[in-house]
Amino acid sequence: MSAHATTGQHWDTSVAPLLVAVGCLLAVPLPFASYFQYHSLGMAVGFLGIGVPVLLAGIAVWVQEGIAQKHDQFGYSQMALPIFITSEVLIFLGLFTSYWALRLLAPAWPPAGSPHIGLTIPIIMTIVLVTSSVTYHMAEGKLEEGDMGGFRSMLGLTLLLGVVFLGLTITEYSHLIGEKFTPSANIFGSAFYSITGFHAAHVLIGLGTFIAVLLPALKGKTNMDFVKCAGVYWHFVDIVWFFVVSQIYFW
Amino acid sequence: MKEWIFTTDHKRVGILYLVGSMAAFAVAGIMALLIRAEQFNPGLGVASEPTQYNTWLYFHGAAMILGFLIPGLTGFAANYLIPLMIGAKDVAFPRLNALSLWLFWMGIVVALLTFVIPDAPDIMWTGYPPYSIKTSGNTAFYVFTVHLIGFSSILGAVNFLTTIIYMRAPGMGWMQMNVFVWSLFTGLIVQLIFVPVLAAAVTLLLFDKYLGTHFFDAAAGGDVLLYQNLFWFYSHPAVYVIFLPAMGLLFEIISTNTKNRPFNYNALVVGMCGLVLITGEVWVHHLYTSGMPDWIRIGQMLTTLMISVPVGVMVMSLWGTLYKGAISFNTGMYYGAACLFLLLLGGLTGIPLAMTALDLHLAETSFIHAHFHFIMGIFAAFVVFGSVFFYFPKMTGRMYNEALGKLSFWLNFIGVNVTFWPLFIIGVKYGMPRRYYDYARIPEATPYHHVATYGAIMVALGITLMLVNWIYSAIKGPKAVENPWRSASLEWTHAASPPPHGNFAAPVTVSSDWTPYNYK
Repeated sequence: MSAHATTGQHWDTSVAPLLVAVGCLLAVPLPFASYFQYHSLGMAVGFLGIGVPVLLAGIAVWVQEGIAQKHDQFGYSQMALPIFITSEVLIFLGLFTSYWALRLLAPAWPPAGSPHIGLTIPIIMTIVLVTSSVTYHMAEGKLEEGDMGGFRSMLGLTLLLGVVFLGLTITEYSHLIGEKFTPSANIFGSAFYSITGFHAAHVLIGLGTFIAVLLPALKGKTNMDFVKCAGVYWHFVDIVWFFVVSQIYFW
Repeated sequence: MKEWIFTTDHKRVGILYLVGSMAAFAVAGIMALLIRAEQFNPGLGVASEPTQYNTWLYFHGAAMILGFLIPGLTGFAANYLIPLMIGAKDVAFPRLNALSLWLFWMGIVVALLTFVIPDAPDIMWTGYPPYSIKTSGNTAFYVFTVHLIGFSSILGAVNFLTTIIYMRAPGMGWMQMNVFVWSLFTGLIVQLIFVPVLAAAVTLLLFDKYLGTHFFDAAAGGDVLLYQNLFWFYSHPAVYVIFLPAMGLLFEIISTNTKNRPFNYNALVVGMCGLVLITGEVWVHHLYTSGMPDWIRIGQMLTTLMISVPVGVMVMSLWGTLYKGAISFNTGMYYGAACLFLLLLGGLTGIPLAMTALDLHLAETSFIHAHFHFIMGIFAAFVVFGSVFFYFPKMTGRMYNEALGKLSFWLNFIGVNVTFWPLFIIGVKYGMPRRYYDYARIPEATPYHHVATYGAIMVALGITLMLVNWIYSAIKGPKAVENPWRSASLEWTHAASPPPHGNFAAPVTVSSDWTPYNYK
């Protein structure tokens, strides 16, 4: 090992991975435990105050390095993404299996104390999310034609639809919580908020990747692999939503 | 220094994985010594209160499995060896690889905080509710350790599966890969599929404890066994995430040191793939005593016994590899040979445990404790240690001290047997319960516990000598010759020791009749 130091050989480095990892530690486990286990809001805010900027800085450096890379150096992303999505499928399957087991073993469903959950909002949400998948697909088409302006506007539209989706989620949650249907109300409340919330978190991550595509695109920089991967992930989140709607709302 | 902490090179990432996992091993080993010291005599001895003993058990289990065994094999060994063995310059995603490394280290940091925070986690490595929800201990840190290391494993699995599928040297067919590459490929498929389910289970645990949900609260319509099912749906396959790469690495050590091709390579590969197919259908054998319907218990007893078939194929290949081999007995091979014994011992004591009728009596005794320590803990740890000795000249360009290596081997090998044989005996003879700090009702077990504790001290001495040997030799050891074991595998024949960034001076291609075991 020491031999390399003396020969002055070049080793590739990047500060991004360490920043992201430290950011993850400071932004989630430490604030969560500070607040919920040790009941110290000040400590939680302190950790978040350091952790979130570190995490965002790490991601920003990462994206910058990624965009700068040449296409041929970065060619495996589209092959790797389906492998990653396999594990995502399994985590949703774990949640749905828990829900199915609890529901099928319950003496009565929905358990006492569950309000009627309207179907209007989920139907609108479905339309919004499917439309956003279509607009993203159109954005990819524009980029392939070399129409950078069209790409940016379709991407912006997709982002907007995602935000509308999350807004609808919040509207629905606040409405249901107003009816005293909280995660701790009963077992249906636990499952309802965990599964829809976990899906909403995936929507949020999808929007995060879109922002990471859009910001460099405003300066005219893109990476086709990155654009394609963000799209495949978004379509996956869209497909999961069909399971959420059919299993939670319509069943 | 900067080139180390910001590195994206797979070899440096691998070595940093080794440092992290050996640190976890050392601290978890100290916990094991404290546990043995506490059990030396009945009654409260070393621990100031029973909860403290629970914290030791928690740290020992969590750090050994999540911090040492899995990262030692799928982190250190995979990172260092896979690109070299398949003739690639690096992994498919070097920065993602560095992220896996540092997420693992953050997981270790959260686990180590156990010793400085108030309300340390005291829930074993399994975190069963309702205790994990009702305890005043910090269950959140347990959950986040699993999350951080789990996320690291998933990213690692994605990275290495992509690397193995797409980055093999031109000309290298699937049936020309090293056994270790195959074992990691199959082991990582298991990891990719099952880790997320564990993540889901512990997340629900976190929600139940801190956010007021009722998934595992039977009084509010939840199901406490749901957690055990989800947990073991991951955690039994986790055994294979450890076992498969350990097996593959063992083949590298034994095949090179006997100058023989792995016996029956094709059947071995089929056996590894077969294990992946069965691995998701056996978890109920951890729950035989939890109140499961008989039809599930008997069905899963059969699938559990079926595991012996692919594992039997692998063990037979190991022994077959020795046949007419020219065996060189260096420290790496000592560990390899010891593993042949450990596989028999651990494997054969597993068969009675797979059978429901017998398991009802042996469950939760120290018999189980000794069984899984031999097959999972000690077997895999010996492979990791053996592989560090075996690849020491490759990683450092220097040679370890052979005599000291062999001395530490004998201390470790005799020590583990002295520690765990008594636990087999008192598990069957007196029904000595595992996990208990006290055994006042069975004072007859005391001498056995004495012997076990002496064995643990012996291992501690052996490990210390081994670490001294590694650290001293890495700095001051004599220069090693290129390819001291005269291996035919790419990492020895085509790369310098230690390999530079980019690994190979020229791109590697292999011919259709090339094999990494071209000895005869």
